[in-house]
Amino acid sequence: MTSGAEQALRRMEAADRGFTGRRLRLWLICATLLAFYAVSWRLAGIDLHKLAVGLPKLGRWLATAWPPDLHELPLFARRTAETVAMAAIGTTLAVLLALPMAILACRTITPWPALYHPARWFLNALRGIDSFVFALLFVAAVGLGPFAGVLGIALHTWGSAAKQFADYLESAHLGPFEAVRATGAGRLTAILYALMPDVAPVMLSTTLFWWEFNVRASTVLGVVGAGGIGQELKNSMDLLDFPRLVTIIAVILVVVTALDQFSGWLRRRLA
Amino acid sequence: MDAPLPANGMDQGEPLMRAEGIGMAFHGHAALADVRFQIHAGELVAVLGPSGAGKTTLFRCLAGLARPDRGCVRVDGQDMTRATGGNRRRMARGIALVFQQFNLVGRLTALDNVLAGRLGHVPAWRGWLRRFSRADRLLALECLDRVGLLAKAGQRADSLSGGQQQRVAIARALAQRPRLILADEPVASLDPATAAGVLDLLRGIARTDGVGVVCSLHQVDLARAAADRIVGLADGRVVVDLPAASFDTAAAARLYSTP
Repeated sequence: MTSGAEQALRRMEAADRGFTGRRLRLWLICATLLAFYAVSWRLAGIDLHKLAVGLPKLGRWLATAWPPDLHELPLFARRTAETVAMAAIGTTLAVLLALPMAILACRTITPWPALYHPARWFLNALRGIDSFVFALLFVAAVGLGPFAGVLGIALHTWGSAAKQFADYLESAHLGPFEAVRATGAGRLTAILYALMPDVAPVMLSTTLFWWEFNVRASTVLGVVGAGGIGQELKNSMDLLDFPRLVTIIAVILVVVTALDQFSGWLRRRLA
Repeated sequence: MDAPLPANGMDQGEPLMRAEGIGMAFHGHAALADVRFQIHAGELVAVLGPSGAGKTTLFRCLAGLARPDRGCVRVDGQDMTRATGGNRRRMARGIALVFQQFNLVGRLTALDNVLAGRLGHVPAWRGWLRRFSRADRLLALECLDRVGLLAKAGQRADSLSGGQQQRVAIARALAQRPRLILADEPVASLDPATAAGVLDLLRGIARTDGVGVVCSLHQVDLARAAADRIVGLADGRVVVDLPAASFDTAAAARLYSTP
């Protein structure tokens, strides 16, 4: 016969054993983290000596960069406009493609639940491949120029935006959707009537974010020959023409900052 | 099928809707067992019962949102639970729903929300573009007027008070021109005075439009004041089915003391 007190003591002892188990697990996690960083440090080739040697070199280059070379400013403006346009067309295309995919990839409202997982896999694949990589492929397929960049941006953003849209739809309150369905409306009608008004502002805001993000991302697309200001950036670097390089970077900074401000202002208006 | 029946008070002829032995189980636990009752045109039936009695499951079955495991729901003699496609949609639009949480689209105006009631009657593109005919807009405004909210037509639904939102939801149900209104705990989120107003409104609709109204409630006195008939649900079964006037303390005790 065990008394109540004894049972309580046994429960405490059992909990204690559990606690030591937990402590062991904590140690294991710490050790794993430490090992992870040690291996990463080696793999990343961290070498502080190289940095010490390289920094003064960078400083000398920067010194030669002054005064900036402003002769080609009109060309840079054109190239930057190209970059902004690439991002705008690519993002818009991506969002138009993302809307139907978001409905398919939304567990709660998809008309074909069987396609839910394939749709998510497809979007994850698009999301997993950077627009830079897509652009590389399209430069080979459609040739050098901004069009390849547009396609690269569109594909990557399609996956990312559709996943975000699907998440918004999944977290939307389904009451109004069910209510509108119950009036005899079809599924698509109910989605457009009951869910879209609620998620449209956040979707628009996401779209602006992606445009802004793609402008920044596509400054480097030129490096693989996919048009825009990045191409001039790479040319200057290859020729070690630092006055030109500084001008280009300054132009990029000005445009990206202005766009950030503009889209931020617009998003605040939408909220 | 569209137009409501003429006002005919307590017509006890062929029932509008008949639940025939509905049974439904979740994970082996019976939520509903052999539920049978009828709803006639022009009457307001209150469904009472303790929490967990299966009221919400019953409403989902009656509304066609859930399919019962056993039994069926007949509307005009047709089995709604087995209907498919266009047939199912035609039957669905004859039944309007009112929810405890109103379920309005918050960012749309009161008028747009009421117009949603027309979606089962108009071509899909009208819903997609939110473009309704003049006749439908007029009907929707009349429905808003009926619930006393014509002045709020252009206001966003999420800016209205709870009682006003429930009235808009009732206007949406009216715009559907239903033969039957199912209201699941329509006043549970409202204060007592507002609740009584909403129930009066529902009873008026039943009387003048000849619409059958089924309304689940959890307050006996509200049910006794508003309903023509009271159906008591306990543990998934109908244990009381009486005219409201005969629903006395003994009946209430029977309903709420069932283990």
